[in-house]
Amino acid sequence: MATRSFLVLIMALLVFLISTFTASLMQTNEIDLIENQEGKKLYISEDLYDLNGNKVAVESLLEGKVLLNVWASWCITCLVEHPFLKKVTESKDVELVGINYKDQDFNAEKYLIDNGDPYSFSVHDLSGSFSLKLGVTGAPETFLVIDGVIVSHRIGEVNMEVWNEKFAQYF
Amino acid sequence: MLCAFIFYASLNKKFIYLGSKLTLANFSVLFIACAYLSFQFLQDNFAFIYVFENSSNLLPTYYKFSAFWSAHEGSFLLMILLLSGCMVLNNWFFWEEKWMPISNATAAFILFFYLLFQIFTSNPFLTFDVEPNNGTDLNPLLQDPLLAIHPPVLFTGYVLYAITFSLVIAGMFRGFGKELFKKLKFWAGLSWFTLTLAILLGSIWAYYELGWGGYWFWDPVENIVLLPWLAGTAFTHSLIYSKNKILLSWMVFLGISTFLLSILGSFIVRSGILNSVHSFASDPSRGVFLLSLFAIFAFSSLGLFFSKSVLLKSNWPELMSKQYLLLLNNIVLLVILLIVFLGTLYPIVTEVFYEQKLSIGPDYFSSLISPLVFVLIGLFLAEQFLSNLKANKKNTLLLLGVFALIFLVLFGTDLSPINLSLIFVFLVLVILLMRALVELTTTKDIKIMHKVLGHLSVVMLTLAVLVNHQYSESIDVKLKPGDQVEFSGSTLKLNSINIEGKENFDTVVARFSVNETSNEKSLISEKRVYKVGGVITSETGISTSIIKDYHIVLGDRYQDGSWSIRFSINYGIMMIWISSIILLLSMLYGTIRRHGY
Amino acid sequence: MKNLLNIFKLIVALSLPFSLCAENLYSNLNPEELKRLNYLSDNIRCPKCSYGNISSSNAPISKDLKEEIAELINIGYSNEEIFDLMEKRYGDYVILKTDLDDNKTLFLVPLMILIISILLVTTYTIKKSK
Repeated sequence: MATRSFLVLIMALLVFLISTFTASLMQTNEIDLIENQEGKKLYISEDLYDLNGNKVAVESLLEGKVLLNVWASWCITCLVEHPFLKKVTESKDVELVGINYKDQDFNAEKYLIDNGDPYSFSVHDLSGSFSLKLGVTGAPETFLVIDGVIVSHRIGEVNMEVWNEKFAQYF
Repeated sequence: MLCAFIFYASLNKKFIYLGSKLTLANFSVLFIACAYLSFQFLQDNFAFIYVFENSSNLLPTYYKFSAFWSAHEGSFLLMILLLSGCMVLNNWFFWEEKWMPISNATAAFILFFYLLFQIFTSNPFLTFDVEPNNGTDLNPLLQDPLLAIHPPVLFTGYVLYAITFSLVIAGMFRGFGKELFKKLKFWAGLSWFTLTLAILLGSIWAYYELGWGGYWFWDPVENIVLLPWLAGTAFTHSLIYSKNKILLSWMVFLGISTFLLSILGSFIVRSGILNSVHSFASDPSRGVFLLSLFAIFAFSSLGLFFSKSVLLKSNWPELMSKQYLLLLNNIVLLVILLIVFLGTLYPIVTEVFYEQKLSIGPDYFSSLISPLVFVLIGLFLAEQFLSNLKANKKNTLLLLGVFALIFLVLFGTDLSPINLSLIFVFLVLVILLMRALVELTTTKDIKIMHKVLGHLSVVMLTLAVLVNHQYSESIDVKLKPGDQVEFSGSTLKLNSINIEGKENFDTVVARFSVNETSNEKSLISEKRVYKVGGVITSETGISTSIIKDYHIVLGDRYQDGSWSIRFSINYGIMMIWISSIILLLSMLYGTIRRHGY
Repeated sequence: MKNLLNIFKLIVALSLPFSLCAENLYSNLNPEELKRLNYLSDNIRCPKCSYGNISSSNAPISKDLKEEIAELINIGYSNEEIFDLMEKRYGDYVILKTDLDDNKTLFLVPLMILIISILLVTTYTIKKSK
């Protein structure tokens, strides 16, 4: 009797375990480990400056459709997605604002001279604190902000495929 | 090459009853395959994808060799080689016994599936059409002598449990006899020893290499190794009284679950369904294969167990006998196992059912497991005084009363739980030590020395872990060369920072000295940039003494030329290693003592 | 003995801020707050790494987060508020602390099994011996 109930218990556990694992293996929609920032408000608590040291008007980020792209001269993936960003700004009406993340201004400027500058301007976030509060975990990341609300957030490289999936519908 | 593999595997299965010759041949073929792959590593033959991914021509020769088992394919091949090696040994020592054919068949069955898995989902012998110039280098974290030997030891532990599993299965068919128990004890003890050694090596590596200042993180993969270890601990203990057929079926169940947990472990690690520092690159087909492997073994072996369990006549222990305490010990061990299991797999369950990722942190494990460890330690104590209880009731009860009274008084004072447990463990340690000493002086000998020593070392280990947890402290500072900082009675001075070039990496070397009263110690902490791939690692500066360690991690450089530095004083680390080594020695002694090897 | 050690440590802790010429990071926190900082950073996972909390990982983001937490403690945030903030920003995944209230099963199941199995075994043993 005792053996039988033990048997049932163990077998039930095993079946549950195996089916859970199977479900886990079959799970195709990748769940992001880190929650993305979609649906949140863009919150700016500090003064921002662009690469030339001019103060950035906060309204320019909070009004209309703004594509924010976190980049740095030391970031290799940023260099990879750079041509794509250029193509997007050339072919569509996109207001692209850079967030220069933990970068020296002279390195950043050299990067833009060498590779072209698709950005309307770039916020110089040397300490990374603006990006940190935005939920950035590294470069590159891209946010689409419409009237101060983040509607789309990509962690990592943006290419044609990602663009079509996450951003194209808004343009 | 591969044809030879498949051919041999099937041959091996068909003619296994012919005896041990085939296992030897099987082993040789696998050995040649491994030697061949190793040779490609040493020759820098980057035409092999596996070599390309895990080596580079700048890598020192010994790491080229250990790179063999640094990733999924090679490590699995190594595991298969070890399994066949263990089969050979198993046959060598005991091949004429009547249960050997079944044991061999079971092991060959496992080997067969492993080989299929290896060939179809993770073949290390695949090649590029064009040979690349250089490889992408071995993961720098793995370029460490301890980690070079950690995986082989771990896999040996795993495959040894496959051997005990095959023996248990054989026992179910042919009946358990005295000889089989002797063998089981030997193999179970050996695998327990090996697995413990592997865990210790991993801990030491984590402490010295990862630079986190800890030795156990409740990382999913660590937990997964802990599962078969806990089951194996219960299994080895349950074997002690198996001769009298007490709890025989329980013992069989544990033997099976230990092996199943080790397969489950390799499924979880190698399918990549958990995120961890150790995870191998994931590939769903591997996961499916390993999961079905687990399902096959789980259902067939447990089915067999339940169908035979009526035949396995077990005796039930008496109340308050040593066997009864053993049963309690097993329950506690298995509950710890359950906690580890739940905590590790719960995130998978929530992911599947609620599509939500969450983390179970060290908090959960330590808050639930530490009380159970104290219960275990209490059981050691009870076990020691059980014979006294029977012989001399009054005195023992008095002693127990005094002990309880001391504890109650302490409980009344407002000591924090951790201090309370420190005192408890310390008291147990003293009592056990005194008892061992008394026995030594009165009878000039200690009965079952490995047990006494083993239990003592576990108590010591617990004490050391508690001390480490309670008293260790650390500070973050910003130092320029020549600066010094005072912390907790010690003075830390940054003497110099230099950049040096090495064979396969460049490194920033920071030299420190730590002064305490009149002692001065010098420490070196590094930050390395590996030439291939540009990975940055920190080499921790550690100076060890019996009581405490100084532990320095070099952080980032600031604009003004100063560096961020994390300086920690960790207590009891050396004691943790020492007591683990004593534990290991007593396991080894307990295993080989009766066999005279 | 243990108390003596504690008193000794207290003295040491009080003399702690006298660093000679080096700069102590988080020097604006008192020892109690430093303890909270350590507790928090031990229980928040580094969002960029596969495993490891922010006090142990070497990733730059961990350092930034630790600095931000120090700042939050300094302006008077409680532990709960900081956990909430981090959870809101990065999701459940980064919170290593396991709440008893949210995960009752996780805590209760092992305890129940422990108690039930000990009771079962003991009663069975008593029955057998009779």
